[in-house]
Amino acid sequence: MNGIFAVIFILSCALFLFSYPDGFLSAMLSGGQKAATLSLSLLAVYCVWLGFFKVLERSGLSEKITRHTMSATRRLFRSDDREALTFAGGNLSANLLGLPGAPTPLGIKATKRFLESGNTYAADMLFVLNATSLQLLPTTVIALRLAAGSAFPADIFLPTLLATLFSSLLGGMLVFLTRRRKKQPAPLAVRRAA
Amino acid sequence: MKWVALIVPVLFLAVFIFALVRRVKLYDCFTDGVKEALPLILSVFPYLAAMLILSALFEESGLAKIITDFLSPAFRALGIPPEISPLVLIKPFSGSGSTAILSELLAAYGPDSYIGRCACVAYGSSETVFYISAVYFAGLKTKNLFKPTAIALAANFLGVVVGCLLCRVM
Repeated sequence: MNGIFAVIFILSCALFLFSYPDGFLSAMLSGGQKAATLSLSLLAVYCVWLGFFKVLERSGLSEKITRHTMSATRRLFRSDDREALTFAGGNLSANLLGLPGAPTPLGIKATKRFLESGNTYAADMLFVLNATSLQLLPTTVIALRLAAGSAFPADIFLPTLLATLFSSLLGGMLVFLTRRRKKQPAPLAVRRAA
Repeated sequence: MKWVALIVPVLFLAVFIFALVRRVKLYDCFTDGVKEALPLILSVFPYLAAMLILSALFEESGLAKIITDFLSPAFRALGIPPEISPLVLIKPFSGSGSTAILSELLAAYGPDSYIGRCACVAYGSSETVFYISAVYFAGLKTKNLFKPTAIALAANFLGVVVGCLLCRVM
């Protein structure tokens, strides 16, 4: 990430220097602005879902659901950490249902726990599945198509589903194929930031 | 598609009623959950800010356009219409940026045209990879952030290739 950040930053900066230097700071500020507003709206979303998840957890319902999905998630993430698997399973279901914003807090929690126990494979798998759009219904796209006056707004449902299924399967397989065979001691695999 | 709107309220209703039956103190419990929201956003914020500043630079400096122009022939060879290559390129960096491009494409070419449909499938089947990696791996210095990010990018890209192909036959 450090490499990508440095390369894109320096190239963009150089381009601004030659095209129009005035735009550089305003571009960065617009990015900062976006971060500020996005964080606020994310905070709102997290409030709702984290409250909901706590109720789900205390009621014992998440425990019940987890019991059914455990064998599948355990194999998928190669982990025995019950709590992490509960978070990861919840993340995947929230993704499939397309609950806006709900997968993120669960995904962050699961990733943290996976990495704390040195299971980079599980963290990578969860990230790739999330980053390949595991959504059954592309609600945003259908809404945009409706707004643009489409005669068949849901027309793209099947190709989108197949394409995203393909990318998720491919991503998952690539993570599986590139996994490290040897187990590394946990403290080396991950170091938390100070 | 109206039943989709029912998912969330039905989910909340079912879970909250179940919790009441189990004698969970809803108010105390809900607020306990909300307590975690602020620390979570604080831990994510620096990475989110850096990533969004970077994507703003990437788009507004014209670097995105240069790379798009450079890659368009390759995209065309893979069956991705050159008109949607900015969308394919911006999507990993910025959700709002790609939404704006999608709306423009739909307005310019029509939502039911081949290009419009390809754009929709490309948008719907890929994700904001860099944003997700910034958020999920926030503060965790893993050795190989490169590998999962590269895999996600490649899988998304090939998903778009397949999607465009499907748009032609479906």
